[in-house]
Amino acid sequence: MKRFIILILTIAILLTGCWDKREINQLAFVQGLGIERGKDDMIHLIVEILKPGLLTASGGGTGGTGGGSAVGKPYAVFQASGVDFAKAFANLNDELPRSLFMQYNEIIFLDEKFARSGIYQTLDFMTRNPEFRRTAYILVVTGGSIQELFNLPSSNELERYPYKEVMGLISNQANTASSYVSDLNEFIETLEIPKKAPITGRLVIVKKDGKATGIRLSGSAVFDNDKLIGFLEEQDTKAVATLMNKLKRSTLTLDKGLKGEKAHISLVVTKARTQISPKIKDGDISFDIKVNVEAYLNEQETKYELTEPENLEKLQTIVSKKIKTTIEHALFILQNKYNADVVGFVDILHKRNPALWKEVEKDWDKIYPDVKFNVAVKSVIKRSGLSSKPIHPR
Amino acid sequence: MPHKLPDPQYVKENYQYMTLSKDLEENIYIFQVLLKGNNDMVFRQISIGDKKVKAFLVYVDGMVDKLLITRNILEPIMIETRKLNKIIYTDDQLFNYINEYFITISEVNVKDKIGDIIDDLLSGETIFLIDGVEKALIISTKGWEGRNIAESTTESYVRGPKEAFVETLRINTSMLRRRIKHPDFVIENMKIGKYSKTDVSIAYIKSIADDKVVQEVKKRLKKVQIDGVIDSGYLEEFIEDNPFSLFPQIAHSEKPDRVSAEILEGKVAILVDGSPFVLTVPAIFAQFFQAGEDYYERYFLSSTLRVLRIIAMVTALLFPSIYIAQTTFHQEMIPTQLAISVAAQREGVPFPALLEALFMEVTFEILREAGIRLPMQVGQAVSIVGGLVIGQAAVQAGLVSPAMVIVVALTGIASFAIPAFNIAITFRLLRFIIMIAAGTLGFFGIIMVVMMILAHMASLESFGVPYLAPMVPSKTQELSDVLIRIPWWAKILRPRTIQRKNIIRQEDTRG
Repeated sequence: MKRFIILILTIAILLTGCWDKREINQLAFVQGLGIERGKDDMIHLIVEILKPGLLTASGGGTGGTGGGSAVGKPYAVFQASGVDFAKAFANLNDELPRSLFMQYNEIIFLDEKFARSGIYQTLDFMTRNPEFRRTAYILVVTGGSIQELFNLPSSNELERYPYKEVMGLISNQANTASSYVSDLNEFIETLEIPKKAPITGRLVIVKKDGKATGIRLSGSAVFDNDKLIGFLEEQDTKAVATLMNKLKRSTLTLDKGLKGEKAHISLVVTKARTQISPKIKDGDISFDIKVNVEAYLNEQETKYELTEPENLEKLQTIVSKKIKTTIEHALFILQNKYNADVVGFVDILHKRNPALWKEVEKDWDKIYPDVKFNVAVKSVIKRSGLSSKPIHPR
Repeated sequence: MPHKLPDPQYVKENYQYMTLSKDLEENIYIFQVLLKGNNDMVFRQISIGDKKVKAFLVYVDGMVDKLLITRNILEPIMIETRKLNKIIYTDDQLFNYINEYFITISEVNVKDKIGDIIDDLLSGETIFLIDGVEKALIISTKGWEGRNIAESTTESYVRGPKEAFVETLRINTSMLRRRIKHPDFVIENMKIGKYSKTDVSIAYIKSIADDKVVQEVKKRLKKVQIDGVIDSGYLEEFIEDNPFSLFPQIAHSEKPDRVSAEILEGKVAILVDGSPFVLTVPAIFAQFFQAGEDYYERYFLSSTLRVLRIIAMVTALLFPSIYIAQTTFHQEMIPTQLAISVAAQREGVPFPALLEALFMEVTFEILREAGIRLPMQVGQAVSIVGGLVIGQAAVQAGLVSPAMVIVVALTGIASFAIPAFNIAITFRLLRFIIMIAAGTLGFFGIIMVVMMILAHMASLESFGVPYLAPMVPSKTQELSDVLIRIPWWAKILRPRTIQRKNIIRQEDTRG
């Protein structure tokens, strides 16, 4: 009898287990989720769904006949709309023969118009639903529609589908820091810090004769709360990344030689450490920004020998000055054009001086544009590449 | 004066308790009653000397060395005894003379209990009786055709002693004795089996082995009341602690070097006549993952291989289950590229992953079982049919996905990497249970079953030693011979999990 009960229990447990079983070949792998706001004010969802059979057929060579690219694109684009994100999502599900599988989607594309109208609902849905990756990147698409992005001609791409192309851009921008891409986690975290403005990457669709031909990750999109308010150019983005201590590697081009002559000198910034400390004097808030930069020489048009301490010193000064100007420019834009505290000065103030922060928190929008910043940059040029002396042609 | 001979029925029932009589006729009669109809029994009647004292010789043909009997028993007795002519002797004296002066064989015993004599006769001894003496000479003439000592087929080494035990107990004990030449090394004998009367030896080192374990082994062996013991496997089932566990709780080995090494650690070996597999107790889980070779190769290599075997164990146990769980429940855990590739492969496969895996695993097990007992040449044909035809064809026919073939193949290979065959079987069985759990409950199911298995293992004991020792209960110092193997010069102590009586293995000679 006891064994019989155990048997029944085992069967009961095992049978109830199967309900959420999904075979891997019954899934619609979404890689690339785009959100647009249509003219009718409806939310349009555009997804790029992979066709695994086509993806592996030509790649692997097991397909027998080969020539998979001739068969067609290895993905399909589906679109659905609804009054809100959830409804659009449900509608999308109704159009598909396989169940939507969002776990592999690591990029969320936001149409510029949609981003300007506010993305709160979307974030809410995505954080509630376990199917969405919290590490998915957020990109604001400009210069074209998401449909255009997803249907880019494959002849212009290295990767096999647009999503992968963008994914490659994101990981590759670590070399240049020309954009600043946030993921869902970082975006939401920033949102929750009072008065701090989220920032994320901007994807520009490059067009030729009205046709989308390529994409470029360029600059970043600045949000006020959940609404897009504008864009930062690449140089400004680099400066912001430096201020946020997020710069890993970047390039820097000077347009003046050591003696002020017109010449190009390129450097690679390998390290940038920023310290920001608030200063209060007579009720005025200002911030001291100290930036330490390490760089190496990449290319020079001039023929200065950097083994000479004098030359090295001069170059370092020029680099420091250049970086300082860049940072100041970025701060000026943020203060005056957008009135957005992307770097989170308010947060720094909060941590260093909670009492004062309490006073100014409400009026930060008014105070922020007038805050003074004292930028001090110290740069060290560590190496000059493989060659210590420039080439001297006869 | 022929007195009345005993009733045959009475003899058959009570010979165990009877002793020899003075009358040779009666003795011969008793032997004939007991052994009549056996055409391998040789009865030889002779007369000794001038007095023509009747004597009687009996042995089992095929179990004795006939040349030995002719040269060292019959020749001296029939020819040399003529020299006794001038001496006056009684029958008893003659018996002693023959024992002391004539039989030129080293081992001779004197016995009078018919039961014992019959046992000895059937073990290959020659029985010699003289008229008028109620004693018999048991002359050791054992000599039958046995297998020669050969290389082991189940545990082969790249480096290390190659010889393996054979079916003859004496040869086996001699192989152990040759390796441990110390008076404390004891080989005790007992007979088990009502009909088979199999010789069973218990070998241990008196000054190292735990007395309690030795006593327990003897106690458990004495309890065995089976009619015959054909292999040591019979006894293993009788004396293991938990007969319902899937896990082997007694180790066995075919290699004398390995058994003697275990005896040196304080274990007790059980040798069974007729079986080349020697049991050693107590056994711990970790030792099933150690090959004897680990101790002969340099310790870097051995340590690495042990880690590799642990990986193989986990693979053999869990790999198909993880594949099933990931493809049916936790697709987000697979790297994207792999997931796409698996999805593409499974496109058009009619069965769910669980059935697919079960189908392939069962096929593989059938192939393995089919190949294992076939002669070498046919075995190769089976592997070709299995590997090429079933593997390749099943994929092309769309029955299974190529990934599944890889999973099954890797699992199979991994299970071969486990050195002990008996624990490999355990893992084969458990694998199926875990696969079903994975197919119905995903990773939750896998974890649940693995937890249950671990709990069960923790509850096991082998002759008083916890099965998972020295991991649970944890003895940090002894872990140096579990996951890795430290060099010999660093092994100052014997494992304390096995015994605590005598733990110093060696002096610390290398700091």
